[in-house]
Amino acid sequence: MEKENYIQFEEYLAGSLNQVELEVFENKLKTDSAFAEAFQTYKNLSHYLSDKFGNETESEAFKENLKSISSKYFIQKDEAVSREKTSKNSFKFYKYAIAACVIVMFGVFTFGEFSNPSYGDFNNYDTISLTVRGENDDLLKTAENAFNSKDFASAEKAFAQLIQIDPSNAELNLYSAISNIELSDYDKADELLTEIANENSAYKNKAIWYLALSKLKQEDVLACIDILKTIPEDAEDYERAQKLLNKLD
Amino acid sequence: MSEKKTHEDQKYIDGLLKNNSFIIQAIYDKFVPKVVNYIKQNSGSRDQAQDVVQDTLVTIYNQASEKGLKLTCPFDAYFFLLCKRKWLNVLKKTSNKEVTINEEVLSKGDEAQELAFETSVFGEKQALFAEMFEKLGNACQDLLKATFKIKSMEEVAASLNVTYAYARKKKSLCIGKLTELVRESPKFNQFNN
Repeated sequence: MEKENYIQFEEYLAGSLNQVELEVFENKLKTDSAFAEAFQTYKNLSHYLSDKFGNETESEAFKENLKSISSKYFIQKDEAVSREKTSKNSFKFYKYAIAACVIVMFGVFTFGEFSNPSYGDFNNYDTISLTVRGENDDLLKTAENAFNSKDFASAEKAFAQLIQIDPSNAELNLYSAISNIELSDYDKADELLTEIANENSAYKNKAIWYLALSKLKQEDVLACIDILKTIPEDAEDYERAQKLLNKLD
Repeated sequence: MSEKKTHEDQKYIDGLLKNNSFIIQAIYDKFVPKVVNYIKQNSGSRDQAQDVVQDTLVTIYNQASEKGLKLTCPFDAYFFLLCKRKWLNVLKKTSNKEVTINEEVLSKGDEAQELAFETSVFGEKQALFAEMFEKLGNACQDLLKATFKIKSMEEVAASLNVTYAYARKKKSLCIGKLTELVRESPKFNQFNN
């Protein structure tokens, strides 16, 4: 192909050919197969470059996240496999296992550390503060007071009204979801939390954490474990999530 | 392709594209064990399986991002076929001896075969494009990076200290050069039809 052809390809893709040039160009695409093939490759390369460099940030974030989920997955499986192997192969290990059991039992009775974790161990919320100078102050105050004094039925009533006014407010949706967990209205709570978790807001990781707690309260331990695994290391609740995971596993 | 009905498993593709950790974790929990077993049964290791799975998911992500991939079959079959194909390519590259493959676990279904084929060709093309891009001169590489990152040609021209007209012309000549490199490569003719 001549240099002129490539300049023309670019102009065609940019939509800057005039009517006459356009007709000549499209006619050539139909009749000249080498020209058409070169144009197709040029166009594919433009799409490729545009996606590669235009979405570099998103794509890098995806790869990082994928890498961390992948290595977590394979490390956990490795540990499971090696646990199985050691218990199968070594007879002597029994002695140590019995000793370990004794220590564990001691731990259970002495500290209660290994007892089954429950939702009640985690629902100690900090007091919330919603009011800022502006509209809906009364309603915000009602919601805030009810939530802080653990009157979740009244809190949810107020949150529902507030969300009607400001449906995309992730913070309000999060507190409404927590109230619904407390009221054992899990369908609604889980739906709200999943929505927040799938969007990018400051409350994303909080929502994942509470979704796990909701499953814990519903005694769906497997779902709880699956969700806890997705809490990233930089999340505020990562440590708590790991502790809970260890107890559940 | 747009005429075919989108499968409900499209949620996995959308989830990958949105970098949704729930979905990625679910893919590992539900679909990856089968792939790991397959690779281990066919002279591979767990580490190799981990790489194949990761590469495959990146290819799916790229196709979804660049071409708006629509899934018309179950994700399970599609994903498995893709990983299998990728693994066969690894085997072909690393050993010259005849590769024997245990076919028992092959998923059936024309739709999945077709779509998996399309995605692997996409992935191979991308790899070729990336390889050829590296062969371009530095000036072209920098200009193209800037062009597609910044998007406004005026700003690109200013950032590279050249005129607008020159930057625009140079962009088309650089993609032109890349087009030639790609078309001349023997690999290109293998999947170009």
